[in-house]
Amino acid sequence: MLNKLALSGIRHRIRDYSVLFSGLMIASAIFYMFMSLATNQTFLSSNSPAAATSFIFGFGIVLLAIITIVYVNYANTFLLSMRQKEYGMFMMLGAKSSKISRMIFVETFTIGAISTVIGSIIGIFATGLVSRWIISAMDMQVKHFNSFYLPALLWTFVFFIVIFMFSAIRNSISLRRSKVLTLLKRDSQPVKIKRNGVLKSIQAVLGLILLAIGYFALWYAGTNPGFIYLGIPVALVTIVLGTYLTINSFVTAVIVMLKRNTNYSQKGLNNFTLSQLSFRINDYTKILSMVSMMFALALGAITVGLGFNNQIDNVVNGQNYYDVQVINPDAAQQKRMKSLSIKTKDVYNYKTDGKKVYYRASEFKKQPVGYSQIDTKTMISSTKTTNNPSKNTNAGYELMNTRLPDQRTMEVGFVSDSAYAAMNGKETTTVLVKTNSFKNNLATIKSISKAEIKRYPALKNAGGDKYSAYTLINGFFSGLEFMGFFLGIAFLAMLASCLMFKILSGANGDVKRYNMLYKIGTKQKVLRTTINKEIAVLFSVPAILGIIHVLMGLQLFTKILYKPYANIEIPFAIFIVLYLGYYFLTRYLYKKIVLK
Amino acid sequence: MQKIVEVQNVEKIYGKASEKQFKALSDVNFEVKPGEFVGIMGASGSGKTTLLNILSTLDTPTSGQVKIAGEDITKLNNNQMADFRANKIGFIFQDFNLLENLTAYENIALPLALQNRPVKTIKPAVMSIAEKLGLEEILNHYPTELSGGQKQRVAAARALVHEPSIVFGDEPTGALDSKSARALMDTLTKINREDNVSILLVTHDPFSASFCDRILFIKDGEIGQELKKEDVSRAEYYQEILDSLGTFAE
Repeated sequence: MLNKLALSGIRHRIRDYSVLFSGLMIASAIFYMFMSLATNQTFLSSNSPAAATSFIFGFGIVLLAIITIVYVNYANTFLLSMRQKEYGMFMMLGAKSSKISRMIFVETFTIGAISTVIGSIIGIFATGLVSRWIISAMDMQVKHFNSFYLPALLWTFVFFIVIFMFSAIRNSISLRRSKVLTLLKRDSQPVKIKRNGVLKSIQAVLGLILLAIGYFALWYAGTNPGFIYLGIPVALVTIVLGTYLTINSFVTAVIVMLKRNTNYSQKGLNNFTLSQLSFRINDYTKILSMVSMMFALALGAITVGLGFNNQIDNVVNGQNYYDVQVINPDAAQQKRMKSLSIKTKDVYNYKTDGKKVYYRASEFKKQPVGYSQIDTKTMISSTKTTNNPSKNTNAGYELMNTRLPDQRTMEVGFVSDSAYAAMNGKETTTVLVKTNSFKNNLATIKSISKAEIKRYPALKNAGGDKYSAYTLINGFFSGLEFMGFFLGIAFLAMLASCLMFKILSGANGDVKRYNMLYKIGTKQKVLRTTINKEIAVLFSVPAILGIIHVLMGLQLFTKILYKPYANIEIPFAIFIVLYLGYYFLTRYLYKKIVLK
Repeated sequence: MQKIVEVQNVEKIYGKASEKQFKALSDVNFEVKPGEFVGIMGASGSGKTTLLNILSTLDTPTSGQVKIAGEDITKLNNNQMADFRANKIGFIFQDFNLLENLTAYENIALPLALQNRPVKTIKPAVMSIAEKLGLEEILNHYPTELSGGQKQRVAAARALVHEPSIVFGDEPTGALDSKSARALMDTLTKINREDNVSILLVTHDPFSASFCDRILFIKDGEIGQELKKEDVSRAEYYQEILDSLGTFAE
């Protein structure tokens, strides 16, 4: 009978339960997505040059596991807050507490199991979709990656079963220990307001100092790589603590200041919103600090991932000056070259006697040959031109790569026009093109390179042109970039859902407040605006801190990445759009719970 | 003289025509004059909460007319109703309904801020009502730091601060001990007498009701009997109420 009652209780709150279910499904889907990368050793080793990758992913698993536990914990609180009154009523009617605790155990565990199974299936599809999207959007080459990966699925099941087991045990113990009256009246338990101004101001100052130390450590480790093993742990500890203290005190201080400004606070519901916030911030300090750290890590992962993408251009441009090289072009190749947007086009001829290669020196006087070089200190590539390639090893190297593979090892001579004309040997023409942009002409460049390989099969393994270098390097960095993206999106989804749940689990307690405001004559529109504002602040505090963390954190990569801040708006935009999505979802769900 | 509340032929039926219907109010007629202190008494389920919800624009009657301060509130849209509640009505609830994250001062100031009153006028208004209700000492306290009686006086101040046309009380003494209940009723009476504030109280407690000038007894959705205080003392009036309750149930 009680079971039947409990089930009908679920049916009555189907909307709240669907929030709970979808949240847990998102959690297990993300966990699976992440595990499908992290546990796939073949994928990791074949896509990343660094041995550190496994370590980074190991670290990622630990972090994600911690977030997931916190997340399930919030979801669980949400569940308990929905159910305690009903279970309290059963107990009041005489149900034994052992029976009740068994019921909540079964309920928690069943919810967990169902959402894990459905979530993992969603995870498999989501992995496929997200990976395909990332790969095609970024022109990536990713090997050994499957959206269905059994070990990942098993890990997901085991992990979630264990944490739900603990949640279920915790719930049943908590219900068994609570008094019936507490269960029935938990919503109306008084809220204690703490006031300790001095302590808060000390915290605010300390928080900002710690953040400054952390940022300094990142910058210092970035410019002095030897310091990195000390710099990262120092930064991690100071920034985590600094974030916590800043949110706990600094944000509160701002709110108090706004409250004191009566011109602002005594307008409409501003004072109510501010009070809700200052009261929330106290309660939310831990989650907001965690979210801002995670936000920083996730955004950092995407930014650094994209940083590797920028690296591709730099490295590729350091390999070759010319974007296209065609040997003895036929009509078809000529036609393809016409569709390029050409910056410079140089044509050089050479003859070979089978031992040496001879160029006409005059050709280089008329059209200086371009070459590229990488500064070994800054790792930044630059391009130059010369009309005397015999004296320049970089230009000599550039020219060498434009010849057919069997002629690359031959000695090179630059001779006068008359000496060249007197030579017998077969003449070869090389057409070298530099376009306005390698990236924008990529499709044509690819087709020209493919056609060249068809015409001269020896080029297939030898490469030498820019497109071959690009393919090689793109493959090398794509893996890293893919991991960065995947990691970033998984973390973001998780932390934003975490914040969402924390906010929603407080919604039931807010129903009464909003109902009272409605009764004393607040318009629905005003109530909605208030809710929007409140949730916007809760979402933006960790986002702003997280963005500052990332901007500072990129200092760490100044020596490793070429221009770590280049194109930074792309990952930031992706991130902010996804994050905004969560904000809108949260405020929609919150209003559904709180308003009539 | 214009009436503060005019209720004519009000009927409230719950449930759609196709379903089983329940008549919560039938043919209710009464009025409240300015400065009157009126009580509505009835047992649980008698319809008094439905009536109060309709009077306070939280619910609409199925038929009939309700005028408050000359305005027909059954013809208002949602926004107009909200404005109406904010400007013309003060509420005192059984469970105080104070916002526990606002201080007593901020709770009292809330209705004024909601109306976007000029900031300069807010403080004098709050201080004036706080003084009247003896709340000066506790204005900076949060509700959790106050006793039940103090909380209800803060709630009363919130209901009065914007000088509404009428104050509705929904079992305002329901959660108070006898001493605090008496103090609250004395305060309400004082305000009613001195400031000519109209008060309409819904209660089933004869003690609270004995402070009213006039009591309407409601039973099964109909107003059956009316008891006026006239010139008798409060103690005598209390006895009359008990007698009426005893016979009214039959």
